[in-house]
Amino acid sequence: MLALLAKEPAHGYELRHRLARALGPLGEVLNPGQVYVTLSRMERAGLVRGDQVEQSAAPDKKVYEATPAGRDHLAAWLADSSWPKVAPAEFHLKLVAAAATGLADPSALIDLQRRELLRRLRKVQRLVEEDPGDLDGMLLLEGTALRLQADVRWLEACERRWRAGDKQ
Amino acid sequence: MTTVIQASGLSRHYPGDGSPVRAVDDVRLVIERGEAVSVMGPSGCGRSTLLHLLGGLERPSAGELTLDGRRVDGLSEAAWARLRRRSVGFVFQAFHLIDELSAVENVELPALLVGTPPQAARRRAMELLERLDVADRAAHLPARLSGGQSQRVALARALVNEPLLVLTDEPTGNLDSHATGELLKILAGLREAHQTLLLVTHDPRVAAIADRLLSMRDGAIVDDTRLDGGLSRQAALAQIAGWDA
Amino acid sequence: MPPAVRLITRLAWRNVRHRPWQAALLLFALCLSTSTLTLALAVNESGTAPWDRLHEATNGFHVDAFVTPRRDAAPTDEDVARARQQLADLRNAPGVVAASGPWRLLYATGEVAGKPTELRVQVRDASPAAVGQPLLTSGSWLDAEDTVVLEDGLASTLHVKPGDTVAIAGRSLTVRGTAMTVNVFPYPIDPPGTVWITTSTAQRLDPAAVAGETEFVELRLSSPQDAETFVAAHSGSITDDQFRADMHAWQMYRNASNGKLEFVSIALGFTGTMLAGLTIATAAVLVAGRMAAQIRQVGTLKAVGVTPGQLTWIQLIEYLALAATAAIVGLTAGALIFPLLARPLRVAYGAPEAAPITLNRAAIVAGVAVFVVVLGTVRPALRGARHSTLRSLVANVHQPPARRDYRASRLARLTGSLRLPLPAVLGIRAALRRPGRTVANAAGLTLGIAMVIIGLALNGKTADFRLTAAQEEAYPGEAAELTGLLDQFRMILFAGAALLLALAAVNAAVAAIFAAHESARNQAILRALGATPRQTVIAFAVAQLSACLLACALGIPLGLALFNSVAGDLGSAQLSARTYAAVAAVALLLYAVAVAAPARLLAKRPVTPLLAYE
Ligand SMILES: Nc1ncnc2c1ncn2[C@@H]1O[C@H](COP(=O)(O)OP(=O)(O)O)[C@@H](O)[C@H]1O
Ligand SMILES: [Mg+2]
Repeated sequence: MLALLAKEPAHGYELRHRLARALGPLGEVLNPGQVYVTLSRMERAGLVRGDQVEQSAAPDKKVYEATPAGRDHLAAWLADSSWPKVAPAEFHLKLVAAAATGLADPSALIDLQRRELLRRLRKVQRLVEEDPGDLDGMLLLEGTALRLQADVRWLEACERRWRAGDKQ
Repeated sequence: MTTVIQASGLSRHYPGDGSPVRAVDDVRLVIERGEAVSVMGPSGCGRSTLLHLLGGLERPSAGELTLDGRRVDGLSEAAWARLRRRSVGFVFQAFHLIDELSAVENVELPALLVGTPPQAARRRAMELLERLDVADRAAHLPARLSGGQSQRVALARALVNEPLLVLTDEPTGNLDSHATGELLKILAGLREAHQTLLLVTHDPRVAAIADRLLSMRDGAIVDDTRLDGGLSRQAALAQIAGWDA
Repeated sequence: MPPAVRLITRLAWRNVRHRPWQAALLLFALCLSTSTLTLALAVNESGTAPWDRLHEATNGFHVDAFVTPRRDAAPTDEDVARARQQLADLRNAPGVVAASGPWRLLYATGEVAGKPTELRVQVRDASPAAVGQPLLTSGSWLDAEDTVVLEDGLASTLHVKPGDTVAIAGRSLTVRGTAMTVNVFPYPIDPPGTVWITTSTAQRLDPAAVAGETEFVELRLSSPQDAETFVAAHSGSITDDQFRADMHAWQMYRNASNGKLEFVSIALGFTGTMLAGLTIATAAVLVAGRMAAQIRQVGTLKAVGVTPGQLTWIQLIEYLALAATAAIVGLTAGALIFPLLARPLRVAYGAPEAAPITLNRAAIVAGVAVFVVVLGTVRPALRGARHSTLRSLVANVHQPPARRDYRASRLARLTGSLRLPLPAVLGIRAALRRPGRTVANAAGLTLGIAMVIIGLALNGKTADFRLTAAQEEAYPGEAAELTGLLDQFRMILFAGAALLLALAAVNAAVAAIFAAHESARNQAILRALGATPRQTVIAFAVAQLSACLLACALGIPLGLALFNSVAGDLGSAQLSARTYAAVAAVALLLYAVAVAAPARLLAKRPVTPLLAYE
């Protein structure tokens, strides 16, 4: 959300709209209240600033925009390569955000992430190589390895998507 | 450590319609002895071409290349062939065994090319096939080998002259998951034995064998990082537990 | 048209259009083979029992009887009449069913085409005789005074046509036609030349310019096999101190004629048959090569649901169209070219040539064209259909059969123990792994080499065809003509051999191109393993040359065996060891040149596209 605001200031409902677009089908389950709750939380943290604007036709009166502190926060978030647990929606949002704001190159983000994933995969594989005896523990490691592989593959799909996006 | 590969400004351009295709463009690369390096990138980014350049199957359009400290970018076909026999082993996605020769004959072929006496070549080939667990298929023609067996025979063939550098292009591209697993073990073993390896691949498992990852895009190496972190076993396990938490 | 049929024809047409060059080459080879086959069949039929055919056509005699004045005798008119009567009495002998004569036979000097020539003049009736009436080959028979009919060989050798004038014993006569008969060899094989005139013309000749007064009758018997018994029984019946009597059975003429023909029939028969055989082999190799190139496509078509039956139809329609075209072109070309061979054939065989085409022979030509095509189509197509779809898709174009690996491997080890250089061993292994290919390649060359051996063997055996020493002295002009004729046949023979070798070389080159295509991947692999371009070329060339060695090993004995089996009176072939060695060396050299081009192209090709995974 912060990323979307960093691009240009927006009303709350506009923001909701953009967010829904960026998330695709996942955006459908977005709760409208959540947007406002998050916005006020961020406002309190000083990441965004709300300006009251008189406008009779619109239901809400505030236009939000990112503060410099907010922008810094955003940059730090983009550079963080820790990996989310189940649905990599957050990384996807990062790509969207990077492309939207021009703060980072999506391809570079993908490379960064891939490196991190492969490092992890390498560790797991080495552990598997080291002790092939313990079957149950092995299964767990194998599960981790498979998830990491799937994530790397997904990165490839992202890469294709964003490269195709470049050319459009 | 000695340097196996040293390339600078290495390029290979193909005439395309309109502008030339820059299959490999201005690549700078150093590979030390004993390093295992994987190359990833979208298809068509020039990984195979780079591999062919390093093994002398293609001539660079520009740039310098040294192999084991020797300038090789200007070598003739025949000189490259003689160098390749001893110093470079190739493994391809499509195995590329010679259909008319049995498995063991395929493996001993490079040994015979460098002038190893026939008995010694046969012995060495059988040893390798045994190590790679395909000795029981030694007398079979390639048409009667499974994909996994074929690739192991191809790997044995690449290793028979104990080359300085082993170049593999999508070695698991034609294999099922089980055969891939078998091959991974062998490749990991090679890395442990400090065999210099270049692994071009799409498969994360193969890429994760390496100590170092090159990412290519549009003929250029855009990223070059080490994958090996000096973590203890305990720390590594703790970390993995952390990811899953 | 049902949709399936439309699909099949469209795919067949696409196949042709896809590789027009190959299709054109194939069509050319097929046309060449049908043309040579048409010619070879016509030539062979011309050479099949020529004497018997002419004998049949002229209602020829089984026995002829001559009376000739003895040397130094001066028979009076009464003596002549008496002898004549004795001859005429033979006509009524038991066993005789038909007869003609007595006819007069004179010797005179004439002038044909401006050249003074000795002539043998037969005096016959203007009306056709019941027995031994000469067979016209052009123009018409004697019909008026001062007309003459020339023996066919005499007319063609001296370029005289009906309507021209010749002089005999000082009298100018108009040529009415040309003809052949069984007891006269075509000029210049047995000089002097023969002409026919009527009795009234004969009476006008200047008696001073005419020599020799022979009379003869021609008799047909109820049982021809007994002709020799008849001769034995009646040769004593004419006794005269002024005249010598001679009687001959038909078998004697036939044997003499066949003896003279041996050389020619071997020269022409072998040339034609082997040329046809080789062109057919060439076409078959091309068809098979094209099929091999299409195997992958077969897999693709099957994958999209075309049934094996439909597949075979696609191939068959394509090739049957080619075969039909080739048959029509070949028959037409053969029929147009054959008349050019008519004169040498008539002189050689002493009988009119066969018809250019008969229904039977046309059927054979069409049948062979279709057979070649079906042979090349059905087997690979069935194999393609039997292959699992996946295998023909995934496997590269030509998987050698796996079942033979054990035996071939042992052979390969044997060659390995000969300590040949590695590339040569690789080449030999490749050849051994595809024995069928090697043998097919060798077959064409074998025929070419056999033909050369036959030609060389025949070359030393021309004596029977020549004039006797006495004849040569008496007829120097004819001897020269005959030598010329002999040279012509020798030329046909060696031109045939050269053509055969050239075809074999083309065959080899085409086969080498296909082989280069097929082995390109292997060459690339060898290069990746560190074989130098030179080594890969050597391996390729050795694989190809082993076919040539095989051809030499088979062709030389084959040529000798063929020659000896038909040589008969000519005796077995006698050639020096040096000749054999020379033939083998030249064949190898020629072959090496033919395969060098594709081999060199192969070495120049970049290898990486062949190693890329598609
Ligand atoms: N022989 C060739 N001729 C022309 N273009 C080629 C040739 N080989 C490769 N290329 C082009 O070079 C680029 C890189 O190819 P390649 O190295 O095979 O990519 P990768 O192996 O990464 O998929 C591609 O765009 C390909 O089309
Ligand atoms: Mg590739």
